[in-house]
Amino acid sequence: MNYYQWRLKIIKLKILIISITSCSGCISTLFSLDIFPQFLEKTEISYFPFITDEGKLGSYDIALIEGCITQDFQIQLIQEIRRAARKVYSLGSCAALGGIINLSKKKKGDPLSNYIEVDGIIPGCPPPSNLFGNCLMNLLENKMIKLSNKNQCYSCPLREGLDYEFKSNITKLIPNNREINSAQNLKCFLSQGVLCLGPVTREGCDNKCINRGIPCDGCLGSPTKSLFSNICNFLSLLNLSDEVKTYDGIFYRYSKPSIKR
Amino acid sequence: MTKLQKIVEPCKRVDGNGNIKILLKGEEINHVEFEIPEVRGFENILNNKKVYDIPRIVSRICGLCHASQTIVSNKAIEDIYGINPPSQSIILRRILLIGELIKSHIMHYFFQSFPDLLKIIKFQEISNPYELMQFDPQLTSNVFDLIKLGSEIDRVFGGRYVHLINCISGGVIYTPSQININLIRKLLQKGSNHAKYLIENFIKLFSNKNPPSSFDLPKINYLGLSNKGSYDRYKGNVIIKNNENQFNFSEKDYQKYFNKDIGVFGISFHQNNNIELITGPIAREKINGISASEKFANYFNKINENWKESILYQNFLELIEINDEIHQCLKLLDENSLNERFELPNLGEIQKLEGIGILEAPRGLLMHHYKIDHNESVIQAKLFIATEINIPLINFMTLKYARDLHKNEAIDKVKKKIMQMIRAFDPCISCASH
Repeated sequence: MNYYQWRLKIIKLKILIISITSCSGCISTLFSLDIFPQFLEKTEISYFPFITDEGKLGSYDIALIEGCITQDFQIQLIQEIRRAARKVYSLGSCAALGGIINLSKKKKGDPLSNYIEVDGIIPGCPPPSNLFGNCLMNLLENKMIKLSNKNQCYSCPLREGLDYEFKSNITKLIPNNREINSAQNLKCFLSQGVLCLGPVTREGCDNKCINRGIPCDGCLGSPTKSLFSNICNFLSLLNLSDEVKTYDGIFYRYSKPSIKR
Repeated sequence: MTKLQKIVEPCKRVDGNGNIKILLKGEEINHVEFEIPEVRGFENILNNKKVYDIPRIVSRICGLCHASQTIVSNKAIEDIYGINPPSQSIILRRILLIGELIKSHIMHYFFQSFPDLLKIIKFQEISNPYELMQFDPQLTSNVFDLIKLGSEIDRVFGGRYVHLINCISGGVIYTPSQININLIRKLLQKGSNHAKYLIENFIKLFSNKNPPSSFDLPKINYLGLSNKGSYDRYKGNVIIKNNENQFNFSEKDYQKYFNKDIGVFGISFHQNNNIELITGPIAREKINGISASEKFANYFNKINENWKESILYQNFLELIEINDEIHQCLKLLDENSLNERFELPNLGEIQKLEGIGILEAPRGLLMHHYKIDHNESVIQAKLFIATEINIPLINFMTLKYARDLHKNEAIDKVKKKIMQMIRAFDPCISCASH
């Protein structure tokens, strides 16, 4: 039994949960999880501005940080948290990849990993409940977070019709309402001319959007390297219509190319 | 000349990051402000985006009011295309809004406001969430069940807990199975008992005490929706009401009464009678009179009259709304059309170049106004958020309270106490920093 396991047996893990620039959606999801009451019981939430009054940072076993970096004082804050916590995890796509704010022309949201070393990410906008719950269980047992290294297509219910050469013309970002609603819609989005980022997006959400007729928009990030470069490479393989090609809502939806300051 | 000293302190136990800013001139408090340190700029983000992409983006404004943000945006887009969602979709949207309200209200009441109520009314100090959960284990278990109820409603009917997948412009892509309807019905029936327990617990703990008069609301205007005089958060006319006047208008005419500058924080109301506005549960109650209904008369009669003038009354109304909406949801689940399969209308051709959507989010009136070009791209988006409407009143009341407190108390204590007042308003900073 190592020190950490011994500590786990006799003392509750001290947890810090904080949100920086974000929508609080990850924290809202945390409250909804089946295991949330047990999570509260098994740990000691010592710093969580959403529900605690604690003013000063202490020392923590695990820090979960939600949100991206948009201001300088936040860099200082997460650096302090890094010093105060044994392990730091990025919670959600904003903290892990940069997040939705990158769609803005005036602002840039940086992932935490641009400024501090993180021990793992719990991606998703919001993190899928199963994945989030499993990650929390792993953290409580002092295990690493395991994320799939396969893409959405691997578990996609529509993969039968996948056109591996991507010959179809992609003209739409979202199918028509009639097509979404039709029960016969069992063809891969890409072969129907609808842009789906599933091929460059990590699996782990049980294909929730695709199952409901909405193509994947990449919120879980890429299984390898940066989401941004993967999207660029992927789009270069496709025959895109001018409308899709010039639309500025695809590339930066969850990340911008990272430049380390 | 005395220099101004600026004190900024992050406000604890609120949704998102907000600061209290106090300006001290010598020993006197010159200015108190509930400051939102950063605006994310969603109004700029929406520029040049395709109309049908908007609901997915605006959902990310707030993880607590996500259903309201998506649905209000869908309503604005349906206004542009001149389409009406099928009746089943409207029922589903109402159900999703109910799920969101239950979760949002109960989280605010228990984790953020309840410790303050105990402190203010009963002088009982609760210093961390664990003490809070041990205070009344039955209450805690009911609270977790209600959080679960709200979350499950949104997961089952909306696709996931937060940032719903099923809500699109034109309707809701989901036909609930009888099994799912029964599952939610059971949870709601249980939830109804929990809500009753919470209301009775509130009455038992607090109703015979007077809330401090410093929390009393000044003379204010109430702003909210009303569907021909009754409580309806999905559709209705906008009402601005005070003790003397009442304005009743369609959201299409909002510019006659209020407006805002894009990318700038705050909403300006033209009817400048120097009276602040409030929106949210208190305004909904004043406008639609939930207290007058027979169902709740029993509860309202047990509450000391002095409560009804106080901002702390909002906590009680949150519980009443949870109970009321649980019953509404049970009724909606009985609608015959709920598990019939409807085709959603295609968006089709643009009918006009602007659209307005309105509804009541858990924290009050929410409105989106988009202007688009012929290529279906947004050229201007204005988002009217409830907390933005409440902030001038928050600032007005906290300044007065802080000055009164500072006569006898040190500034550190003043800060803590004005945080209690801010929390009573249930500000949603994620929404306000849109």
